[in-house]
Amino acid sequence: MALEIKDPAVNNTPLKKSINETKLPVIALIGMPNSGKTTLFNALTGSNFKTSNYPGATVEYSIGSLVNRFGFSSYVMDSPGIISLNPSSPDEDVTISGLFNHPKFGLPDVVIVSCDCTQLSRQLFLVKQVIDTGFKTIVALTMNDLLDKKDMFVSEEKLGKILNAPVIKINSKKKEGINELIRKAEEMYLDESIVDYKSTIRKPGHPAEEDVAKLYDYTEQTEREVLESKNNIDINEVNRKAFRSLSRTPDLNSMKLDKVFLHPIWGIFIFVISMGIIFTSIFWIAQPAMDIIDTAFSSLSQLVADSLPAGAWYSDLITNGLINGFGSVMIFVPQIVILFILLGLLEDTGYLARAAMLIDKPLSKFGLNGRSFIPMLSGYACAIPAMMAARTISNRRERYLTIMIIPLMSCSARLPVYALLLAMVVPPDKPWIAGIGLGALYLFSIIASAVTAGIISKFKKTDEKSTFMLELPPYRTPVFRHVFKNTYYKALVYVKQAGPIIIVISLLLWALTYFPNVNPEIPESKTKGLTEEQISKVIESERLNTSFAATIGKNVFEPVLKPLGWDWRVGVSLISAFAAREIFVSAMAITFNITESEDDEDNFQTSILASMREARSPDGTRPLFTTASTISLIIYFMFAMQCLSTVAVARKETGSWKIPAIQIVFYTIMAYVLAFITYNGLNLLGIQ
Amino acid sequence: MTKTAKVTEFRSVADMTIGESAVISSVGDDCLDIHCHCLRLMELGFTPGQEVSVVAKSPFKDPLAVSVRGTIIALRKTEAECIKISTDGIRN
Repeated sequence: MALEIKDPAVNNTPLKKSINETKLPVIALIGMPNSGKTTLFNALTGSNFKTSNYPGATVEYSIGSLVNRFGFSSYVMDSPGIISLNPSSPDEDVTISGLFNHPKFGLPDVVIVSCDCTQLSRQLFLVKQVIDTGFKTIVALTMNDLLDKKDMFVSEEKLGKILNAPVIKINSKKKEGINELIRKAEEMYLDESIVDYKSTIRKPGHPAEEDVAKLYDYTEQTEREVLESKNNIDINEVNRKAFRSLSRTPDLNSMKLDKVFLHPIWGIFIFVISMGIIFTSIFWIAQPAMDIIDTAFSSLSQLVADSLPAGAWYSDLITNGLINGFGSVMIFVPQIVILFILLGLLEDTGYLARAAMLIDKPLSKFGLNGRSFIPMLSGYACAIPAMMAARTISNRRERYLTIMIIPLMSCSARLPVYALLLAMVVPPDKPWIAGIGLGALYLFSIIASAVTAGIISKFKKTDEKSTFMLELPPYRTPVFRHVFKNTYYKALVYVKQAGPIIIVISLLLWALTYFPNVNPEIPESKTKGLTEEQISKVIESERLNTSFAATIGKNVFEPVLKPLGWDWRVGVSLISAFAAREIFVSAMAITFNITESEDDEDNFQTSILASMREARSPDGTRPLFTTASTISLIIYFMFAMQCLSTVAVARKETGSWKIPAIQIVFYTIMAYVLAFITYNGLNLLGIQ
Repeated sequence: MTKTAKVTEFRSVADMTIGESAVISSVGDDCLDIHCHCLRLMELGFTPGQEVSVVAKSPFKDPLAVSVRGTIIALRKTEAECIKISTDGIRN
């Protein structure tokens, strides 16, 4: 079981320390999904909480302390919503085991179960299960305003008596009943009359179908007894008159809205529009913010470089290694923030579940889930936020499969590479061919990812069957503050957990491309008549071409790359581009000794294309970049896992190196084989 | 409210039309799949005797949105097939 793995990959050490010192009580929140549990958690903690993973798992829990105003010092723990105390997936197992034996907090002192009173017979199922385990339990009744709209209410006294547990009506958004809830929790915590109850609490065993049916008989009976009509009429009379079983009818407004949102034509229309908005936002709206971050870090780098001794290796380490490395961590933050705000709003309004339902059928053919759609779509902008968005997929197998194929989506970092390489092969007077080529690349990446997902799900046998079973919650107005807060934590966790890996690997790449020939000697004939900036470019080029990366390129890569029609210089650029795909273009410029400034885009593109056209193959007999070798390079970029940030995030999101390692090995082999087939196939067809 | 539908012995929620209501007769009987999620379906509230109705279907006709016990749950057809129904037992 996952909990036995002793790998505290969690980030809340200060909190843990203070808990050990002061031994504050712990209140655990339990509830079904959409039962108002998280809104209650936010009301209790004032959105001041930390989110961590259960050790060795990717299941998250949040821990925060009660707002001071309540006058009771306690921790509050929130974990994912559950249907029953009987887990039906590995992730649920982690969550439920965490309630009974939390790796950091042990058994909670008081449990608050949130219960949506508009679906009482269903939600009391979990409430009863929790009470029966022996926890000190308080029932928090939520959504009372919605029940009120149906002219009904729940008698707290009656329900409390039947359940033998305190019942308190709350409205988290209006902060009603919260204080009373806390008082009750404090009272129960301090109640010494129940001695040593903790030792008798056991996680319930696997129930039989009869047990479930029996428990539901109980909840139905209870519902009939506690549900009352506002006008003092018999509740059964109300039900009969208004609507068949009004007390068991879903929110009527939501059912009306669903007629539009799940309509065969309008539903698809709204789906396409909303997904279009998400895609445009992370693709284009994030761009200005990313440009600002990019400019800020290069100015910082320039500023620091000016104050450090020129030409010293540590100056370059700080500016090109460290500052640029940190810049490549931060560059993804705008996309992450935008995607998670939109995702949070969609989730809170209730539309996300509908969107997942709409698109589930086609995705299920490839072993995926309706919830895989947004992560995959986001992958066309950038794999980093996309992999993080895969968190919303509750089935672990489908989440991993989605994370597995996201690097195949044609992300925006590939665009500059494709633009350069397509410009190589397309006749200058027919630029529209490049447009068609780009479209074909996008289409090809969809097909490739679908095929890959299909193959993996076919051959990877597992116990965890693909299921959907998703509650469509009532449509609600989102609480913006919580969405922003949650987004902030997502971005923070990304910077803290994926950041260090990205920086370490970028430093490694920097060292490979910088050492050992730190100050190369350039014969004066080569620098004659050049400006200072051009001379520094010549030095940079010479340094890279004599670096460890170049040595590896010449000795290891050249024999391997030759069958694809490339030489060691392409290899060196590929090593550099592992920091980020778009670096391939500037790395090519350096290896091919381009002295034009990158700021002058037209000139830069023209001169790099000219150099590429002049470049000869290793034996010097024919051009290096033929149509065939260039197209094979495009194919390579489509598949290869050429992005260290993606590797770092895949590690963070799956909790182990297994999936990123498979991605590197499998996708690189795939890229190589397909590039090989392309190059030699084109040659056979007579295309050089 | 309820559309009259032909009552056959093996009808399941997957066979219901949009707007149709029915009462669950059994869950997971003669289910051959060992990894079947029938217990989970029952835990979600799909217990024998409960009234269910199909409120919407995805444009691809699968999954279906099924109303049960005051909420709506989206189920794939393969899952809905485990929930057998009868149309005679609807309470009024």
